Amino acid sequence: MTVTFQLNGDRCRFHDDPMTPLLDVLRQEKFLTGAKAVCREGFCGACTVHVDGEPVMSCLKPVGLVSGCSVTTIEGLSSGDQTLHPLQAAFEAADVVQCGMCFPGMVMSLSAFVRDNPEATRPEIKTAMSGNICRCTGYERIIDAVADHLEAQKSGRQAKETAHV
Amino acid sequence: MDMREGPERIFDSVATVAEAVDARAAGAAVLAGGTWIMRDPRRGVALPERIVALSKIAELQRVDVLDDRVSIGAAVTHAGLAQAINGLAGLEGLAAAATGAANPAIRRVATVGGNLCTLDFAAADLVPALLALDAQVELMVADGGRILPISTFLAERAVLLKTALLTRVIVPRAATASAHVRLPLRKAGDYPVAIVSVARASGGAIRVAVGSVEPVARRWTALEDELSGKAVTPEETQALAEKTNDFMGRDGIEAEGWYRREVLPALVRRAFAALQKGGAA
Ligand SMILES: Cc1cc2nc3c(=O)[nH]c(=O)nc-3n(C[C@H](O)[C@H](O)[C@H](O)COP(=O)(O)OP(=O)(O)OC[C@H]3O[C@@H](n4cnc5c(N)ncnc54)[C@H](O)[C@@H]3O)c2cc1C
Ligand code: FES
Ligand code: FES
Repeated sequence: MTVTFQLNGDRCRFHDDPMTPLLDVLRQEKFLTGAKAVCREGFCGACTVHVDGEPVMSCLKPVGLVSGCSVTTIEGLSSGDQTLHPLQAAFEAADVVQCGMCFPGMVMSLSAFVRDNPEATRPEIKTAMSGNICRCTGYERIIDAVADHLEAQKSGRQAKETAHV
Repeated sequence: MDMREGPERIFDSVATVAEAVDARAAGAAVLAGGTWIMRDPRRGVALPERIVALSKIAELQRVDVLDDRVSIGAAVTHAGLAQAINGLAGLEGLAAAATGAANPAIRRVATVGGNLCTLDFAAADLVPALLALDAQVELMVADGGRILPISTFLAERAVLLKTALLTRVIVPRAATASAHVRLPLRKAGDYPVAIVSVARASGGAIRVAVGSVEPVARRWTALEDELSGKAVTPEETQALAEKTNDFMGRDGIEAEGWYRREVLPALVRRAFAALQKGGAA
């Protein structure tokens, strides 16, 4: 069966078993190895990608179900010498990345979260991360960086509003 | 690259319930969110050769909130359900079940129908919540539809689901408050060791359901009988739960059977404390 979907803005066709996990299509067919295959059970979040803008586990997503959808991976969020997504920049600035295994998934989950929850509190940030396991257990620094990022966005917005008056 | 050997799998992404029912009659297995089925190969179970996907059937993605009931399409996700019933008096327990299960990315994908139709899944959160709320399920087969109480569905689902498609869950809005209390051993994504869901009807009658302790969730009628007509504190309900604890805990990777059974009275106390505060937990 042929499945067609948008992948990081480009049209993408996959011709094989529609029950193939999206994760395997990304890594083995498209050589997009940012999403990691760690638990393959929906538990660790290392394989998180966006399907139609929402973070989901690509290890449990049969590629047949993304037919007609738009898939964004960490490579599509910002690649090569492009500017980083502001949350990636915040992680880099605060030096939160340790081994990095969890980070593509962490960024995909949290980039959608900060987009949808600009006023989030620390407990809400923690809940949003409950499906992203960091084996290096750098959680508190990640939460700090997300909170700082939201704070920076807020003051950015306020500055803009005052400028408009 | 060849990902798989053998004949090509049949994968139908249909647009209507009628087509899905026809596909079922032709032997297709249902694919909803896939969060359970996609782990079948890891359990040593082969993926079905013929599949019908529900994700393009619009009517199965709807939640209709009416004055006397809420109708939930089988392909509504946990996240979609939580959003649709957020703040509805009486359905706090169901909302808590939908928001407490799994992790955010799974809740965006895993469906109500998948939660109810997974035969070997004892820890399903929505099942006890729906038992406590006296829900009904709608099944469709080639020669028509049928609505049955969720308890009957649970007892017969192994046979019914050989041919039927679950299309809707109907939740009467008869409860004034409900609560759902679960005990996972860790916070991140573990299946709960035990679940207690309670609901109070407008006349005061209490329904209690327990999940994850036995292979299939069920009502705790012995406790309901003891509670009938009494005004009791959460501590007193805990004592009554100890007296009427007739559960046979199942052994599993997260916990042994005796432990699942022993934690129930404490969960009952917590559930009734939440109920006193107007629900949730
Ligand atoms: C990391 C992780 C954590 C989890 N934690 C929890 C938890 O805490 N609590 C909890 O309750 N669950 C938990 N789950 C399980 C998850 O909720 C269930 O796997 C989910 O509800 C299944 O829904 P689905 O739509 O993905 O089902 P699918 O995998 O698509 O299907 C599951 C089964 O149901 C059948 N089916 C689905 N829909 C229908 C229908 N409409 N009619 C007939 N048959 C149907 C399918 O044929 C299949 O046999 C967890 C899962 C993961 C991966
Ligand atoms: S690899 Fe998908 S959640 Fe762990
Ligand atoms: S940084 Fe190593 S797993 Fe998170």
